[in-house]
Amino acid sequence: MSSTSRSFFLSAGLAAFAAISGTCQAAPRQPGEIAWAIHYDPKTFDPAKVDEQASELVRYLTGGVLFRLNRQTQEPEPQLAESFRVSDQGRLIAVRLREGLRFSDGSSLTSADVAWSLRRVLAPSTGAVVAEEFLSPREVVVDTPDKLTLRLHLPKPVIGIAKIFDEIAIEPANRPSEGRVTSGPFTVTGYKQGQYVRLSRNPHYWRRDNAGGPLPYATGIRLDILNSREQEISLFLRGEYDLIDGLSPDYYAILAQKSPRSVRDLGASLNTEQLWFNQSSRAALPEFEIAWFRNKTLRVAVSEAIHRADLARIAYSGHATPAFSFISPANTLWHNNNLKYPHENTADAVRMLAEAGFHRSGTQLYDSSGHPVKFSILTNSGNAARQKMAVLIQQDLAAIGMQVTIVALDFPALIERLLHKQDYEACLLGLSDVDADPSSMMNLWISSSPNHQWNPSETTPATEWEAEIDKQMNLQASSSSQRIRKLAVDRVQQIVADQQPFIYLVYPNALQAISPQLEGVQPAILSPGPVSNIDAIRREQSPQRAAR
Amino acid sequence: MSKWVSAAFLLALILGAAVLLAFARDDYAHQDRDAIMAPATAQHWTGTDELGRDRTVRVAGALLVGLLGATAAAAITTAIAACFGLLAAFGPPMSAPILMFLSDAFLSLPWLFLLMMARSILPLTASPLETAVATFLVLAALGWPACARAIWRGADALRSSEWVIQGRAGGLKASQLVRLHLVPHLRPLLLPQFLMCVPAFIVAEANLGALGLGVGEPMPSWGAMLLELDNSALLARSHWVYLPIVLLVAVLLILESLTTEVETHV
Repeated sequence: MSSTSRSFFLSAGLAAFAAISGTCQAAPRQPGEIAWAIHYDPKTFDPAKVDEQASELVRYLTGGVLFRLNRQTQEPEPQLAESFRVSDQGRLIAVRLREGLRFSDGSSLTSADVAWSLRRVLAPSTGAVVAEEFLSPREVVVDTPDKLTLRLHLPKPVIGIAKIFDEIAIEPANRPSEGRVTSGPFTVTGYKQGQYVRLSRNPHYWRRDNAGGPLPYATGIRLDILNSREQEISLFLRGEYDLIDGLSPDYYAILAQKSPRSVRDLGASLNTEQLWFNQSSRAALPEFEIAWFRNKTLRVAVSEAIHRADLARIAYSGHATPAFSFISPANTLWHNNNLKYPHENTADAVRMLAEAGFHRSGTQLYDSSGHPVKFSILTNSGNAARQKMAVLIQQDLAAIGMQVTIVALDFPALIERLLHKQDYEACLLGLSDVDADPSSMMNLWISSSPNHQWNPSETTPATEWEAEIDKQMNLQASSSSQRIRKLAVDRVQQIVADQQPFIYLVYPNALQAISPQLEGVQPAILSPGPVSNIDAIRREQSPQRAAR
Repeated sequence: MSKWVSAAFLLALILGAAVLLAFARDDYAHQDRDAIMAPATAQHWTGTDELGRDRTVRVAGALLVGLLGATAAAAITTAIAACFGLLAAFGPPMSAPILMFLSDAFLSLPWLFLLMMARSILPLTASPLETAVATFLVLAALGWPACARAIWRGADALRSSEWVIQGRAGGLKASQLVRLHLVPHLRPLLLPQFLMCVPAFIVAEANLGALGLGVGEPMPSWGAMLLELDNSALLARSHWVYLPIVLLVAVLLILESLTTEVETHV
């Protein structure tokens, strides 16, 4: 057999293997257990050390917290805490615990446990990500006047303190158990690396349903570790899994065809897809190109020339929403509803470019020095929707005379060019797992940040509008008034819409699949999506395979 | 299948693709955004792709790009291999082990990563045509070692042949010796090597393209078109999605048959 035939048959063999592997088997399900897949092993079960999604999910399912952020309303709701009071201009927080709280092993939960958990999170040796949100974690003092009261003395006020408690699981004092003794709805009872995480119901969970019955309803949860969407879909259709979060439009289409009752399109997610030009003075680009990219008119013209509705309809099969701001309309608390942004208008884009000194000869646009406007858009390989968007944008920009080449690189090569060499002209990427609170985006918007993508690590803001963004972002991060914060964030959204440093394209929709056998699910856009109210979800005991 | 029949099939495919491209209503990049994944119609004989581009035109384009690029790359790689093989056979005594060690070392390199690396260091502004040329040049530059060893063996056998000794004794210059004696005698070896490289490079480009690292959009290529097969939802929507793979297999079988026939008859 020649080398050609061998290569070909090898490829065919791999394809066949990929198809066959879709028939994999999930671990056996226990009665009343809810099962779904996570894509990689949690790095830790220690709730204080969580810094990635899988561990965060386990913490959410097992950790009891003082306050929980309601994923629907974005408002904090008391959990282990019965009430809390803020005084001394936001520097003293007094929390009153519910009476009769217990850990999953039956031991009492008192303010001493809460204080110990908080001190552990605040200690630099723990390396808890959430500690940074206390601004000066080392200076926070925690005391416990009695068994049910806890006081936090903060050196300076912290915004949205109740929401921060959503990320701090209360553990038994001096007995860190990596999720095995918890005050949340479930406890970790089994883990096989690369296979599954098994959680069991906490018999001493504090919460009751409206009828006074114990929660959670589910007897347990099995999180299979599976990094194959094909297999995940196949197992969902066979009734082995109960839900899938973050479906791509392609898989959504398959499920919609085979199990129409199970799919949900919740509309725009908090994630964004955006295009930006390299405006950095350290960019390895000719001066005239930097001048183009720093020209607001060119950026606005590009924004006006892009047919966002086509991007949503074609690249995402209709499961995306045109985007004009970094805050999705799904983020009702922070989205600027009065935003004025450049609307799709190719003729206006052409006119604006002509007024700015650009001219056309045939189909090609030239700048005032006679340089043809040609540039490349960098994106990552392996993301079909993003690559389709790039090709659609290529044609949209051809209509205003810009010649675009598309370069898809693997992620390491892309990051090298983007962050280290700044050797690119334009880039098309997305932001996922976006936090609802704009404070989490400080590193993206503050001009001195290395993640200020269009012009990283500026020593002083390069433009007045960037200085204004810095000012407004710092204001929203330091003010304790929600009204002032909202005004500041609205102002930043308007500046971004006017200046278009990031040209927002679409918000991919939140697509989920939920087995009709699950009852009580309240699908949410904010993470962890369909299992936000996990303690109130129950699975019918009827025979499986009813997903259809 | 005789080599003439194979050659005729291949020629017919090339001519058909060229005629289609020349007389198509829209070019291969044209997006009809109101006809996304349209079914086969009189306007779009095999329907449209996910971006509303005519599939027939794009498949024709991919066929020409793949065949022309792979043929040129095969010619280059065979020429490089011939140079190395001849140098090893007719150069100083130490040249053979050194060159063959080089060739073996080259063969042991992780070529897929090299291809990805080479593709990623291309200038970003490279046009789709330039990326196509670069892709096939890289393939040509990496494909020679396997042929070089075979050519060295053949040339080494010729070196001690009576007619080469006679030519040398007769005062022929090295260039005359190569032109008059070596190339004609090595042709039966070079031609199959060349023909084997063509399908190998077509497959290599398809693999690279399927990783999203081959010929740049919107130029059609096998690799980019095979990416569609990765989408199960599309497979259910139109059987025409399979057209590129069917045609690719047909072209590979024809080339395989042609190579076998040529090997048998030379």
